[in-house]
Amino acid sequence: MFDNFQLSRITDLLQFNPDSPLIFSTGLFIFLFFGFLLIYNLLTKYKNARLYFLIFFSVYFYYKSAGYLASILILSAVINFYFGKLISTSTKPGIRRLFLIVSIIANLGILSYFKYTNFIIEIINGIQSAQITPLDIFLPIGISFYTFKSMSYIFDVYMEMMEPTKSFRDFCVFVFFFPNILAGPIDRASEFIPQINKEPFLTKEDLGKALFLIILGLIKKIVIADYISLNFVDRVFDFPLRYTGFENLVAIYGYTLQIYCDFSGYSDMAIGIALLMGFKLMDNFNSPFKAVSIADFWRRWHISLSSWLLDYLFKPLQMKFRNLRQFSNVIGLFVTFLLCGLWHGAGWNFIFWGALHGIFMSFSLMIKKPKEFVQKKLHIHNTVGLKFLQRFITFNLVAFSFLIFRLRSFDTIYEVIDQIFSFFHGEILMQFLEKMPLISGLLILGYLFHFMPDKVEIYIKKFITSLPLVGKAILLALVIWIVAQFKSADMQPFIYFQF
Amino acid sequence: MISDKLRKVILSELDLDDFDFQDETKATEVPGWDSLNHVNIIIAVEKHFGIKFKSLEILRLKNVGDLQNLVDSKLNK
Repeated sequence: MFDNFQLSRITDLLQFNPDSPLIFSTGLFIFLFFGFLLIYNLLTKYKNARLYFLIFFSVYFYYKSAGYLASILILSAVINFYFGKLISTSTKPGIRRLFLIVSIIANLGILSYFKYTNFIIEIINGIQSAQITPLDIFLPIGISFYTFKSMSYIFDVYMEMMEPTKSFRDFCVFVFFFPNILAGPIDRASEFIPQINKEPFLTKEDLGKALFLIILGLIKKIVIADYISLNFVDRVFDFPLRYTGFENLVAIYGYTLQIYCDFSGYSDMAIGIALLMGFKLMDNFNSPFKAVSIADFWRRWHISLSSWLLDYLFKPLQMKFRNLRQFSNVIGLFVTFLLCGLWHGAGWNFIFWGALHGIFMSFSLMIKKPKEFVQKKLHIHNTVGLKFLQRFITFNLVAFSFLIFRLRSFDTIYEVIDQIFSFFHGEILMQFLEKMPLISGLLILGYLFHFMPDKVEIYIKKFITSLPLVGKAILLALVIWIVAQFKSADMQPFIYFQF
Repeated sequence: MISDKLRKVILSELDLDDFDFQDETKATEVPGWDSLNHVNIIIAVEKHFGIKFKSLEILRLKNVGDLQNLVDSKLNK
């Protein structure tokens, strides 16, 4: 029996709370999702009811994290659906182009207002010593992700890569789809929309894969990312001068692992959850630290964003300036990565982080031919030793760039680097391992698992698939129990939610 | 079908001895044809055939067969 007090607690729990988004790893989400999945499956044969139920649940999921700003999401869907229609029905190239430009302005205008207004005010205040008061703007969670998702639809319709959907219902399923609305993957309309009208069908392999991804995501997020962040990385980066250079260096590698486990863990869960509903989302990560160059890294890290930027920003710029030959690549790379940095957040550190990757890529492009010449002369082309060296250099460049990504103050970045070069004290290694066995163990295990050959992952997936249903349930319960032992009292939001 | 001329231009730009190009062959399947090298191939094709593509026409290309069709359509104008 519920009394009034309990009822009001339940209502509070289900209402919008900016401090408690409906994160996949929370008990509330797991409870609501099981209820959702049950009804969703009961409605398998009733397509219309099933899809409207999915839309309703997705909007609720978003409302729980964004409140009244869910209206922006709905507005974005309306704008993009009708602009897609206008572009496809116009026969004159000039008019099509005009609609494209207006829709880009509308999308980026909304995104910029929420994301960059106060950053611009800060810059103006800095230049003119003006005293413009920052506006009280609440950033709608996931806006960068769903704006880019919707824009891919507009671009593909404009480039005639896909037929626009005639159904506003289907478009809403695409834009509102709750597994990827808060932090991606930024799925393409051309891949997603055709799946909507198919009856959901889950093979034994799909179920095994979904369970594997959900388990992997939970472990990556709660056991590795949250634990090493709260108990080590944050402490070092809060006061780098209190720690030796060795600890600062381990914190850099720790943060690199943390951001990977945090973000790819979320993507794994999103892909797994979508798969349980019969939707195949695009891959977002492919062992990024195995990359042998920065270009290779970007083919493996946040693939849905990097391929978006490649198709809709880099390639058009590259073709526009192709008369400049190699410089068209340099211009394209630099602009793309600068905007990639800005996409991540309104802050100078993100802009520098993007610019740094633009410089890495451009430099690597410039030295490509002489580098290949030297490698062939020395007969080290494609050797294991060279690959190892390339991986080592790429990983360290990436880890250094994440230091800029993590720390907003350039003074603190300097402190970290200075400690590494002037107060290293590598001899504390044994002491570190003894004092922090769990942190050291998680770091070592996290990286070891990452660098395992791909067949290990395939083997685990096959093993989970082969388990009977009861075995799968026991495994999931066991993982949830382990994860609960690591869970901190304070909920740690996903790093990428802020973007 | 991919013409001998187009095949030779692409092979020469990529420094390849031979490759079995089909209509459905995608750039990513050809050794060395990455997003950065793409611009060099497009320029080489334009130069060899004395034609000029619009940016949008290039962005729409999905495979080598599409590139062949685009070249043919420009030459037949």
